[in-house]
Amino acid sequence: MKKNLITIVIAAVLVVIFALLLFTFQVRQSEVAVLTTFGKPAANNIDQPNLYFKWPWPIQQVYRFDQRVQNFEDKYSENLTSDNTMLLTSVYVGWRISDAKEFFPKFAGGSVEAAQRQLETMLRSAKAAVIGKHNLSDFVNADTKQLKLESIEDEIKAAVQGELASQNYGISIEFLGVKKLGLPESVTQPVFDRMKSERTVLISEAQFKGEAEATKIKSAAERQAADVIANAQADATRIEGAGVAEAAKTLSVFQQNPELAIFQLQLQALKSSLNQKSTLIFDERTPPFSLFQNLPANSK
Amino acid sequence: MSDHDHHDHSQPPLVAQDAGSQALAEALRSSFVIVKIAMVALVVIIFAAGFFTVGPQEKAVILRFGKPQGEGQKMLLGAGLHWSLPYPIEEVIRIPITEIQKVSSTVGWFLTTPEMELAGTEPPAGPSLNPQIDGYVVTADRNIIHTRATVSYHIDDPRTAIFNFASGTNQQFNLGGVSNAVQNAVNNALILTAARFNVDDILTRDIAGFQDAVSQRVSELAEREHLGVAIDQVQVQSVAPRQLKDVFAQVTTARQNRDKLINDALSEQNRIASQAGAQAASITNAAESARTRYVTAIESDATAFTELLPKYTGNPNLFAQLELAKAMTQILTNVQDKIFLPQRADGKPRELRLQLNREPPQPKSAANP
Repeated sequence: MKKNLITIVIAAVLVVIFALLLFTFQVRQSEVAVLTTFGKPAANNIDQPNLYFKWPWPIQQVYRFDQRVQNFEDKYSENLTSDNTMLLTSVYVGWRISDAKEFFPKFAGGSVEAAQRQLETMLRSAKAAVIGKHNLSDFVNADTKQLKLESIEDEIKAAVQGELASQNYGISIEFLGVKKLGLPESVTQPVFDRMKSERTVLISEAQFKGEAEATKIKSAAERQAADVIANAQADATRIEGAGVAEAAKTLSVFQQNPELAIFQLQLQALKSSLNQKSTLIFDERTPPFSLFQNLPANSK
Repeated sequence: MSDHDHHDHSQPPLVAQDAGSQALAEALRSSFVIVKIAMVALVVIIFAAGFFTVGPQEKAVILRFGKPQGEGQKMLLGAGLHWSLPYPIEEVIRIPITEIQKVSSTVGWFLTTPEMELAGTEPPAGPSLNPQIDGYVVTADRNIIHTRATVSYHIDDPRTAIFNFASGTNQQFNLGGVSNAVQNAVNNALILTAARFNVDDILTRDIAGFQDAVSQRVSELAEREHLGVAIDQVQVQSVAPRQLKDVFAQVTTARQNRDKLINDALSEQNRIASQAGAQAASITNAAESARTRYVTAIESDATAFTELLPKYTGNPNLFAQLELAKAMTQILTNVQDKIFLPQRADGKPRELRLQLNREPPQPKSAANP
């Protein structure tokens, strides 16, 4: 009995494993699967990761596709802007298989490369059309309102998306952006020449501006200094005037006896004028030398 | 098995006959034991095979029926020992990943090699730039310059970052796809930001502003393109084209000279202003002290006057004589030369000649006798 039981268990496990292999399939997180019944694709894509049931081959068959975002960059190619400037652009595209049942009949074996070749063709015409509608000033501009690079990206994206939708390729564009933007090699040298002359202008501008500015600052400072000194001198005159006015108040004291006042002033003037290093010549009439005059008179 | 044994014993005559079958039974019995052991071993092996280790430079994700287990950051199993159910129920995928990812831009810089970078040298510059070889960006004022950026980022949403971006056409899981997307976001940010900045802002005036703008654009793109990553840092380096290096350097020098001239003028301005201030202060101070002196002198005169007035009014002539005599004493003491010139006997006035500022007498010599 024991032997039979084990045999039955082993057999059952084997049958279950075999059945699971035949009747189920897994879809991974990154995958999308299409189930075909006698070659005819089912109406829905299986895009959620899980374990699914199917009838064994040749009734039903599973086709798997990568539903991750694929990165595609087109060739660095030349296009004319509307103001006849030759621009080199390259864009990167994040695209993915959005509808696998539409995608895989259109590209041999669901080939990503084949899809990207198709995408490149579409991008080429979309870029030519969109770039041809814009001036160079829409591509490079210090004024953010006039810079239209982002809307140019959107326009290219919309054009490719429109094309993809009309043909029903089962591809969606997740994002699209400019990867490179440049000028043809022959144009770079004239650009360098122009840049050089711009720099030369800046050099002389800096030189002259520095000198002019310095002179301006210095002369302004000198003018201000002169103002300050003139003001100070005016102040000084005012202060001295105020002193005179203040002194005038004491004049009334001297008015009591002008004679004495004048005598006092004269005396002071005499003292201060004959202070030092002066030569005094006098005769006998000047006191106190008048004494000399009187003496002989007495002896006569 | 025991049934068989019992049966064999009840029919002894068959024992000898069945020696062969007995040996077979014996063999079967032992082989079943082996099978049993093998099955147990198999179960143990299957169970043990579920253990796996994760290294420090990688993370692992368990897929159950293709679906990643765990949400957000919990999805990523770090370094250590882990266990999963056997395939095909569960599947372990390993992703080479470090805490911080780094990616550099691929556009905008001239062709160079890591060796040249290390040595700090540059390839020789031709008269023009071949767009297929040398990268550059066009600025808002239509200058050509070189710029490059390095971005550090970390995985914010592993489900998106790992499972939503293809790296090549194989079905491997790694960060190649999302790293590529971040790289293109950086490239795009450099092109678009340079297109709205003027050359002088990028190279000298607003280096930080340009870097911030690039960083902001990268973060914006990461969010808009649902990359599942968070941008930590963006470092931008920009240089003038090698062809115009000298002339750009000259502008910098000229501007530095200009700034120096202006700064010198400003310090000169300060000097002049403070000098003028000092001079003005000394003028007003002098006036103040003159005023004080004047007023004080007048006042002291007035005081003296008031004191003298009673004496004067008593006998004006005597007072005047006395005061004059006192003054003369003082004067005569101070005066250097005193010349007394008495009246001539005939009463006629004397004639006195004074030589003012006369030259000192010249020493007599042979040349000038």
